[in-house]
Amino acid sequence: MSQRTMVVDLDRCIGCKSCEVACKQENGVILGCTWNKVLTVGPTGTYPNIQMYYLPTMCQECKEAQCVKVCPTGASYKGEDGTVLIDKEKCIGCRYCMMACPYGVRTFNEETKVVEKCTLCTQLQAVGEQPACVKNCPAGCRFVGDIDDPNSEVAKVIQKAGNENVHVLPDVGNRPSARYILHSKTATWKE
Amino acid sequence: MKQLVLNRRQFLKATAITGLATALSGSFKTGFAQGEAAVEVAKTSETKIIRTCCRACIGKCGILAHVKDGRLIKLEGDPDQPMTRGKVCAKGLAGIQALYNPNRNKYPMVRVGERGENKWKRVSWEEAIDTIAKKLMETREKYGAEAVLCTTGGGGNPEFGSVRRFASVFGTPNWFEPGAQQCYMPRTVCYKLMYGQTDMWYQTTSIADSEAHEIYFYKDTPMKTLVLWGTCPANNSPSQGGRAVVELRARGVQTVVVDPRFTADAAKADVWLPIRPGTDVALELCWIRYIIEHKLYDEEFVMKWSNLPFLVNTQTKMCLRESDITPGGDSNTYVVWDKKTQSAKPLPYPWDDNLDPELFGTFTVNGVECKTGFQLYKERCEPFSIEKAAEICWLDADKIEKAIKIYAQGPGGLCLGVATDQHPQSAQAAMAACALDLMMGYVQKPGTLLQNFGDVKFGDSAVSPLYKFISPEQFKKRLGGAEYKGANSWGSCHNPTVLKAIKTGDPYPVRVWLERSGNKLAVLGNASSWIEALEKMEFIVHMYMYPTSFSAYADVLLPTTEWLESDYVVPPLNMLFVRQAVTHTYETMNETVIWAKIAKRCGELGHQACKDSFDPAKTAPEQPYWNSMEEFLDYNCKQKLGMTFKELAQKVPYEAMPIDKWRKYYTYKEIDPKTGKPKGFGRPSKKVEIYGEVFITLARTGAPFTPHPLPPASKDYDPLPYFVEPFESPLEGSELAKKFPLVMTNGRLPYFHHGTLRNVPWLREIYPAPEIWIHPKAAAKYGVSQGDWVNVESQRGKIKAMAWVMEGINPGVVYMERFWTPETLNTDTHGWKEVNVNVLSKNDAPFNDVIGTYTLRGYLVKISKADGPPKGVWLKPEEFKKWLPEPSDPTPLKDKEV
Repeated sequence: MSQRTMVVDLDRCIGCKSCEVACKQENGVILGCTWNKVLTVGPTGTYPNIQMYYLPTMCQECKEAQCVKVCPTGASYKGEDGTVLIDKEKCIGCRYCMMACPYGVRTFNEETKVVEKCTLCTQLQAVGEQPACVKNCPAGCRFVGDIDDPNSEVAKVIQKAGNENVHVLPDVGNRPSARYILHSKTATWKE
Repeated sequence: MKQLVLNRRQFLKATAITGLATALSGSFKTGFAQGEAAVEVAKTSETKIIRTCCRACIGKCGILAHVKDGRLIKLEGDPDQPMTRGKVCAKGLAGIQALYNPNRNKYPMVRVGERGENKWKRVSWEEAIDTIAKKLMETREKYGAEAVLCTTGGGGNPEFGSVRRFASVFGTPNWFEPGAQQCYMPRTVCYKLMYGQTDMWYQTTSIADSEAHEIYFYKDTPMKTLVLWGTCPANNSPSQGGRAVVELRARGVQTVVVDPRFTADAAKADVWLPIRPGTDVALELCWIRYIIEHKLYDEEFVMKWSNLPFLVNTQTKMCLRESDITPGGDSNTYVVWDKKTQSAKPLPYPWDDNLDPELFGTFTVNGVECKTGFQLYKERCEPFSIEKAAEICWLDADKIEKAIKIYAQGPGGLCLGVATDQHPQSAQAAMAACALDLMMGYVQKPGTLLQNFGDVKFGDSAVSPLYKFISPEQFKKRLGGAEYKGANSWGSCHNPTVLKAIKTGDPYPVRVWLERSGNKLAVLGNASSWIEALEKMEFIVHMYMYPTSFSAYADVLLPTTEWLESDYVVPPLNMLFVRQAVTHTYETMNETVIWAKIAKRCGELGHQACKDSFDPAKTAPEQPYWNSMEEFLDYNCKQKLGMTFKELAQKVPYEAMPIDKWRKYYTYKEIDPKTGKPKGFGRPSKKVEIYGEVFITLARTGAPFTPHPLPPASKDYDPLPYFVEPFESPLEGSELAKKFPLVMTNGRLPYFHHGTLRNVPWLREIYPAPEIWIHPKAAAKYGVSQGDWVNVESQRGKIKAMAWVMEGINPGVVYMERFWTPETLNTDTHGWKEVNVNVLSKNDAPFNDVIGTYTLRGYLVKISKADGPPKGVWLKPEEFKKWLPEPSDPTPLKDKEV
């Protein structure tokens, strides 16, 4: 099995939101929709002893993707490389998948009346390029690849960071594959 | 499938060069026929990738522009640009929406309705230039050339030199940028006078201004510590300096961030010092005191390579020369106190091993009390213990000490940002920051910020100033020029003094204003104070990419090119890249050409200097004026590189200097073949002049910045940094603080540059209206909750902002960034009154004594809960749909309201 996914190094991320604009440009995401929102976590603590980090929230590429399971038309599916994708021809805009997603990373396009999400820029992958957010990221904090392949960049980055510094968004049985690197020196990971 | 997959570099190689040739053919044959470029591109249908450089801010980020059928379809980073390595921030990536914004200024227009009514008539470029030139000539005849004011600013400009050059040629001493005295100038002046002239024209530690080049060598620099003081590279240049700082931190460089707000860089710092705005000099003097007290300075360097051991006459505050102690002695040789002989001795350059100079002490020389420069620093810093600084600056004493220890560990440096340029202690803050790095010996060593790397001869001001064209009589009329002499280093006047002249006619009237930049009303301090002045002007020209609040008061509007339509040479590190037009829209023109056109027409109307400015014999050794960008760029490229601009564009990335020759350390130790002695530093003493004797002569004569001597300033400038409490003080006993209890500070966001890009949907969607950061305690006290709209008031005005109630700011401080709202341009507010923090800021005295800086940060405000957002301001993403790119077909010539 392969599982293409994204790893984000939050020690590096500077919250500049270049990735949000890169995504909009590459994928024609309309105003009001986001595939890739950067959240600010904090500041937490009491001034002046505080912490803060940024959390880019793209699709977590779940192994047991609830969005796929609840889709009544088969529009949401997992591609061969494990990427969760949407066939817009089949999508009827019922938005069950948006309710099923624990992370709120799917978005409803009011113009086309279909649900959209991060595709890990499959169109760029097809010509051997990195996703737009990865390529342009000023902080170099994003990595993409097959997390099940120990020789992939994402697997190596995670290994280098060490287990205690690798985090995952809350798992309610959906087994998210995306990973976040955050050392406690930068900030404490908030569940 | 595999064979169809081209990697990025192969794809680039295959397409970039042909793209360039097509995109540029036929372009810029004359300044008036730029539209041909787009037509040429439109003949092809494949996607071209054109290598260019961004100018959404003043960075140098490399860009690959994808152009299909003549239309820009995508932007991404250029992996070969050595400062940015393929990275681009939100501002740069949003360039496509700026270029194709439906609200672009498309054609030259003249006003047909009343001022502010926003009724315009399209005219030809010839007619617009002719109208402007005639008005200029008439004004010159009636009031003198000094009645013409020219202004520019950093937002989106192709270069900084055009306005200055035009002012010289036309004969007016009055031009300004709203930044300048409030941005970068205080640092450039002080570093030049203390560290000295270097190969590169400016050498400060500003990461935002593309300096501090050592940080880009993060893979091999021995840098261990970095202080970011009043700056956040993650915000001001995410893909350039911000990126490099990320890489340094990832390699273990420890950082100290001095910033009132908890920024991205503060959150990742080893120590964050949330300083009270306006008290930076107190903290700097504390650092110096600690460094002296604990002998953390680089003793060898300050002894042999600084003027700190030199004896200073405490009466005159000038350094003693040999000629002062020995009849017939040399007037360029300085004097030290020799321990061995217990006497004053001349110290020949560079050093005399027979002498053992004192670094500290008070001595009597020929009956005159003298102290060493270092002794004077020690005494000046004496009141600023760590405890005292903690009290003044609202900081934790232990954290101050921890920060100094990190800084002193080195190698590293203190990157001083724009924050201290924006209050009246601007020059003193820059002097102290420079003094710190110099005392620590953080100079020209591997791993330090202050360097003397090579100059590849293409800066932001490749447009030469032609100072020789302005007569001594006109030069001396520069408003504020005699009082704030530091500003003569850039050649600009003092804008509060201009404001007074416009309003009162004292010392002479100013009646015509040619302006090129974003929104002056969003960036000038105390914006409301300018309205009366605007109404008094007889004629106003505004040239910009789109209308701003300022345009509402103009008589002529000229459409300028966006960066994606413009050409320039861009010098990252030892390399040259180019910014080149990837397409062209409507009748926009590069401002570098517009000013030349105006000068040319004035020449035709009888202005002799304007006429002469096109004559190479008269302008030599500087460039004569040009008729097109091609002419301007080719002259520069041929002279400096022996090739045309187009040839250079084909060779990008072009290595202007081998990296090992460019990245040179310890240049002051190199032997000058003419003298057989070390080259030293670019100061009269050839040593770093940490004791600022030259500030005294600057105040008295204008040297070294003025071509003609000026009368003395009202008082001498202090040769040492000094601290004064902010004029609008929040401390106990301040009457004003009873009414306005909170200190306002400002600072950049990564989505905008100065007043630009508020018309770009992708960016306004992220940040639709300005936040005000409020500590929870302050919020509770003033009845404000998270997300509320808040009234923010100072003595000068009242605006609104959205509350972000958060722990990342001192309970006594609030933060906002500059803002205006293009969506309310056609209302009574003209978009500058609703949410513009500069309605609150202060532009009257006290000014900085050396530079003339006013108060954009560190003044007092109060807050209260508001009843809702300002009328007409867009907050929902869908509202920005009106500004999405529109097809850029030619528009028929007819009267047109915009």
